[in-house]
Amino acid sequence: MAPPTALQRVAFGSIAVAALFWPHLAVAQAQSEPPPPQMISGYMDFHLNKPADQPGVLDFHRFVLLFSHRFTERIRFVGELELEHAFVEGLEEAGELELEQAYLDFLLKRSFNVRAGMLLVPIGIINERHEPPVYNGVERPFVDTVIVPSTWFEVGAGVHGEIGTGWRYRAYALAPLNALDFDAEEGIRGGRQKGSQADVRNVAYTGRLEYVGIRGLQLGLSGWRGESSFAVPRLDTTVGIVEGDVRHRIGRLETRAQYAHVFISDTANLNDSISRSTGVSPNVARQLRGWYAEAAYRIWNAGAPRDLVAFVRYENFDTQFRMPEGHLPLKEFDREAWIAGLTYYPDPDVAVKIDFVQTNNESGFVRLPRTLNVGLGWWF
Amino acid sequence: MVVLKMMPIATARAIRAGALAAALCFTAAGSAQTQKPIEIQAERFTFTPSKVTLTLGEEVQFRLTSEDTAHGFRVLDTDINVVIPKRGKGEILVRFKPEKAGRYVFECSRMCGAGHNFMRGELEVKERRQP
Repeated sequence: MAPPTALQRVAFGSIAVAALFWPHLAVAQAQSEPPPPQMISGYMDFHLNKPADQPGVLDFHRFVLLFSHRFTERIRFVGELELEHAFVEGLEEAGELELEQAYLDFLLKRSFNVRAGMLLVPIGIINERHEPPVYNGVERPFVDTVIVPSTWFEVGAGVHGEIGTGWRYRAYALAPLNALDFDAEEGIRGGRQKGSQADVRNVAYTGRLEYVGIRGLQLGLSGWRGESSFAVPRLDTTVGIVEGDVRHRIGRLETRAQYAHVFISDTANLNDSISRSTGVSPNVARQLRGWYAEAAYRIWNAGAPRDLVAFVRYENFDTQFRMPEGHLPLKEFDREAWIAGLTYYPDPDVAVKIDFVQTNNESGFVRLPRTLNVGLGWWF
Repeated sequence: MVVLKMMPIATARAIRAGALAAALCFTAAGSAQTQKPIEIQAERFTFTPSKVTLTLGEEVQFRLTSEDTAHGFRVLDTDINVVIPKRGKGEILVRFKPEKAGRYVFECSRMCGAGHNFMRGELEVKERRQP
C-alpha cells in the first residue's frame, strides 16, 4: 500500500480535529453503526387551549406507543396504542384508550403485499401521518377531524404496494361506519366502530392512490364506500367519501392542500329513524365537505436547534352542506377557520408550537371564540 | 461482495473551516472518483427515489439524507444497515457494488411512525450491456 500523500495526511488530521470540536460530526459518526433493535417508539403531545374570555385548558392530549416485531423478513407486526387525555374513566368522558393499529404485514413483493388487523383508514394527509412534528398547528386540521374523522382506524384486511416509480396504492376491506351515530356537528365521526366488536354484516371498501416519485411532491387520492345502516335493515344508508390532497416543498416553502367530500344516502329516513328512537333529530346531512390550504415557511433554516417554521392555514368545512328534503341546515356548522402560528424545532423530533385560531360560522347567533393554543409534541 | 463505507459529511453549517474543506477534498480525490453518486432522500414514509436501477459490477455511492426524523437504510440480503441522521444532522454515504443481478429490496429499518412499513424501495441490478 502506498504511503499517504501530504494531502491525505492533512485530510486525516483535519477529520480528527473536526470530530473533536464539532459534536455534529461525532453524532454522524456514531450513527454509522447499524441501528439497534428498536421495539418501542412513540409520540406524545400536550396542549394549552385558551379560548378568549374562557378559562384555559391544559391537556396531555396523546400518549402513544408503537410496537413492532419482525417474525421473518416477510412477516411483520406493527401496533399503536394510544391514551388520549391522560385518564380513562368509563365511556369517553375523560379519555380514551385506543388500539389504533395492530396488524400483520405479509410482504410478498414490491407491487403486492397483504395486511390484516387493525388498520388506519388511508384517507387524507393526517390520518396515516399524524406524528406531532410532521404537521403545523397545535391541533390537527378541522377538516381532518370533522370531515375525515381522524384518527380513523378499523379492523379488516387488504393489499398495498408500489408500482413503477412512486405510484403507491392501498386497498382495504374494513368494518363500516355505523350511521346511527352520525350527527350534525361532527358528521360521520361518531360512526366509527373502532374495531370494537364491529358489526360486519356489511363491509366497507377504501383505497388510496399516491404519487411520491418526485422529491418534495406528494399527491394523494382516496375513497371510501360502505353500507352503514346495518343496525336498521329497512334503511339504505351508504357512505361514500372522495378525497384529494397535495403536499409540495421547494426550498424553505412547504404548501399543502386537501379537499374531502362525504356523500350519505337515505338521510331523510335515517334522521327519521334516529329521532323516533331518541326523540331528537340528529339533522344528518346528505353531503358534507371541507378543504384547507396551508403555506409554511422555514424562517430559520440552520438545522435544529435553529429551526423555526411560520405557517398560515385556511380551512372551510361544512357538515350541513346538502340536506335531505324537509331538513334545514344548521348554519353554525358551516364553518371556516384561520390558523396562524409558529413551530420551533429544538430537535427534528421535538416541536414547540403556538398558534392563534379564528373560527367563524354562518350563524347569526352562535359565535365561536378566538383561541390561543400552545403545544409541545415529540417523537422518539 | 458488498462494500460498505460510512463517511460523515457535515452540513453547510459546519462547513466553515479549512480543516473540513481538506477532508472533503480527500473524499473526492481518494475514493469517490469511480463511484456513481445516487442521492436518496428519506421522509415519512417514503424514499425518493424508491426505485433505482444499477449496473452489475458498477460501484455506486448512496448519499442518504432525511427530511425529518432518523430513518434506517437497510438493503436486504446485504450487510448494509445504517441510520440516516435526522434532518440537518448531516448525511451518510454508503458504497455498494452489486455482484449479482436481480432485485434488492431496501427499507427503513428504524421505526419512524405510523406508516413505517410503507417505507420500502427497490434496487434493480441489470447485467452490463455488451458493446
